[in-house]
Amino acid sequence: MSFFELGSAKKSDLKEYYDVTIIGGGPGGITAGIYAVQAGLNPIIVEKALDGGQMNNTQSVENWTGFTSIRGMELSERMADHARAFDVPFTYAEVVDVETNGLEKAVVLDNGKKIKSRVIIVATGSNLRKLGVKGEEEFKGRGISYCATCDGHFFSDKHIAVIGGGNSALDESLCLSKMVSKITVIQNLPKLTADKLLQRKLNDTGKVEYIYNSVVDSVEGDSQVRKVNIRNVDSGEITSLPVDGIFVFIGLIPNSQFLKGKVELNEFGYVKTNDFMETSKKAVYAIGDVREKEVRQIVTAAADGAIAVYHAARNYFND
Amino acid sequence: MAKLLPENITKQVKEIFSNMEGSVKALLFKSEKNCDYCSTAEQMLQELSELEAKISYEVHELDSEMADKYSVELAPSIVLLTPEGEDKGVRFLGIPAGHEFGSLLQDIVSFSKGAIPELSEESIKKIEKINSPVDIKVFVTTTCPYCPKAVLTAHNIAMVNKNVMAYMVEANEFQDLSKKYGVSSVPQIVINDKVTFVGAYPEGQFVDQVMKAV
Repeated sequence: MSFFELGSAKKSDLKEYYDVTIIGGGPGGITAGIYAVQAGLNPIIVEKALDGGQMNNTQSVENWTGFTSIRGMELSERMADHARAFDVPFTYAEVVDVETNGLEKAVVLDNGKKIKSRVIIVATGSNLRKLGVKGEEEFKGRGISYCATCDGHFFSDKHIAVIGGGNSALDESLCLSKMVSKITVIQNLPKLTADKLLQRKLNDTGKVEYIYNSVVDSVEGDSQVRKVNIRNVDSGEITSLPVDGIFVFIGLIPNSQFLKGKVELNEFGYVKTNDFMETSKKAVYAIGDVREKEVRQIVTAAADGAIAVYHAARNYFND
Repeated sequence: MAKLLPENITKQVKEIFSNMEGSVKALLFKSEKNCDYCSTAEQMLQELSELEAKISYEVHELDSEMADKYSVELAPSIVLLTPEGEDKGVRFLGIPAGHEFGSLLQDIVSFSKGAIPELSEESIKKIEKINSPVDIKVFVTTTCPYCPKAVLTAHNIAMVNKNVMAYMVEANEFQDLSKKYGVSSVPQIVINDKVTFVGAYPEGQFVDQVMKAV
């Protein structure tokens, strides 16, 4: 019994109005909260699960300046504690709707509460992309998983397939390698796209083999997953691989569903903004992974947060 | 004995408990046999009670009248009671450590205020209508960041209606139960052995699933 996480127990009492409602408590949202307080504004951060968001799923972060290496969970906690030290309040709920018209905006929470504000900053990040193949829905929770730290324990000494060859797939594989007996990484491209350092670490575990140029065609089983059918993208040939579990990390989709019809999104669902992070609606901003941009990193999310608050403070609170 | 809760945590826990109003009693049910975590659970409750005078706990054997009274069948189980001594159907099977520690703390604060459910009016209206027994099991692992949301939603639903019992089940501690329900992803929610879903659903959808099982 090594760790005790207070999580949403650190919630603040909810007031009716805040200057800035920040949806999402990842690095972008937390940074925006700190900058807002420093600009003399009253912000609130609405987080649906855990302070730090997707950072928590990263074993080690090695490109956040000032830390040669820090666990994603620890960086999350440090960032949130930093914001709390500046009296940034957090509340924990999922946002189900936003009201973006008019001078006063509002966000509606799944617990029925409503927060009014002058400015909304959307920092909802992204979620894991699904496979979209036959058997995926059927075997979700019966051998198909999207969270290594959550579900790795159930596959002790078992053979699993990891779908994807990017940073998150290999990072999660590294976490899984401590529990499972064998990992087969299935990658759609002829090579991995993850950082070389991560590839080396994973290879050092001696538990991994790779299948390239291949995608999942379907998943089969009985009460649990028994095999994954893999299609070679060149030949079209399908082969079966017997596995006990499948972990899927094939990229991300932006958490922007609740913004459809409210602000402009691109064809992939990412929120369009100008250079100041403002969306197609005045006083509604989008920062971090949910935004249409080139580089999705902790440092760029944090930077987006600072830019958005600067702009908002000057344009909507300058009286 | 070495402390279970590190100092940086106890400091924050005290702050959270400063929001408590009335006193909360925790009933811990343990057993001598096959209970790797019973003593750890007891130590956890003891350390929490040392941090805040409004928290007390009692230890009972699994084989006891109290266990029958509270329909407790597995150990360790934790039952919370309101300042009036009311059981609201809120249960923890296994140690609420890791990410579930936060769930326990929130439930304690909530119980100190009479266990008033923090749910939308719409959800409360639906749940109030339930007039047959409902049993919600939320399977979790302590390393699952999405699980507390599901546990707290289930517990709040139980606070609304006496017919509802809501259990956090630590899947690694209760492997037989996990196997029985085919748990391989958490949170997995099983309602009346009839409706099963995986994931931390928003409140409205969670309540809809409960109503499907009624």
